[in-house]
Amino acid sequence: MLNDLINKWRGTKKSSSQTAKQRLQCAIVYDNLEVTDDVLISLKSDIIEVLSKYFKIDSKAISLDIERSKDTSALVLNTPILSTIRR
Amino acid sequence: MEGKVIVITSGKGGVGKTTATASIGAALAREGKKVAVVDMDIGLRNLDVVMGLENRVVFNIVDIVRNKCRINQAAIRDRRIDNLFLIPASQSDNKDSITPEEMVTVCKEFRKEFDFTLMDCPAGIERGFENAVAGADEAVVVCTPEISSVRDADRIIGLLYAKKITPKLIVNRIIPSMVERGDMLSHEDVVDVLSVDLIGLVEMDDQVIVSTNTGSPLVMNKESKAGVAFSRIAMRLNGQPDLPVEIPRSHEGFFKKMGRKIGMRK
Repeated sequence: MLNDLINKWRGTKKSSSQTAKQRLQCAIVYDNLEVTDDVLISLKSDIIEVLSKYFKIDSKAISLDIERSKDTSALVLNTPILSTIRR
Repeated sequence: MEGKVIVITSGKGGVGKTTATASIGAALAREGKKVAVVDMDIGLRNLDVVMGLENRVVFNIVDIVRNKCRINQAAIRDRRIDNLFLIPASQSDNKDSITPEEMVTVCKEFRKEFDFTLMDCPAGIERGFENAVAGADEAVVVCTPEISSVRDADRIIGLLYAKKITPKLIVNRIIPSMVERGDMLSHEDVVDVLSVDLIGLVEMDDQVIVSTNTGSPLVMNKESKAGVAFSRIAMRLNGQPDLPVEIPRSHEGFFKKMGRKIGMRK
């Protein structure tokens, strides 16, 4: 009881519902960052289509991945350019 | 005028969808509306026992979809509440026995026959969910103030938005004393995380188990706080959307509360 009293007065102890809310918000953010392979494949073909308007590219050499670090999530596209398309 | 089809869903199982469906359905019927409650949990039917109508099941929703019977042949009339009808699920089929397209067609018939059709959605996000949601005009999402339930509700809400349905939220099984102590997510927390409109807050109530035990309608029990909360939700669905949402509060004494405030009690 004394510990509770001290914690309360010092304001160090977070309530379990606050912890729950924070964990929940993180979980939901992560859930929403998940991308299925289907989405990635169709995104890749769309990107190839757009890029092909401006560059000659090797569509087989293109790579598209999602790289996750601790608190960011990045879409990384890597493609060699064979030549530009002059117009 | 055509009726409305409302799906009651949650994602996670065991949060009170079936109780909510039975209670809101009963409350709407008590307000004089003609109501059908449809058990969409094909293979695992339970709405019939919760409503105390399990002995009178003849036809079911799969029979209706397959044109083996008409809606009014399958509908079981509740003898205690006028204008309340149950369409049971089939116990021998499974979720793949019917398709979302077939449900869209059946829902058109329901709209003609009933003012309100409440679909009791099964847990999960697979075919059973798709079937229950396919023909719905509106959706009510039920969750409890627990991490797992709220997370699943978030998924369901996303899926409903993708179907152009803006759901409303019921937070069920709130224990006010735990919320006040900081040991349970408050409804504000839940709404904050999910950012949807509330349609009702239901407090944890022993009477829910008692009325399920006997198969009697919760909303006929005036002592039941949950029953009253569900009745108010029904009023909001039935043309009174601005009826204020009551916040469940604990009734603990002054000294207990003060003790907690200054840290003398947990």
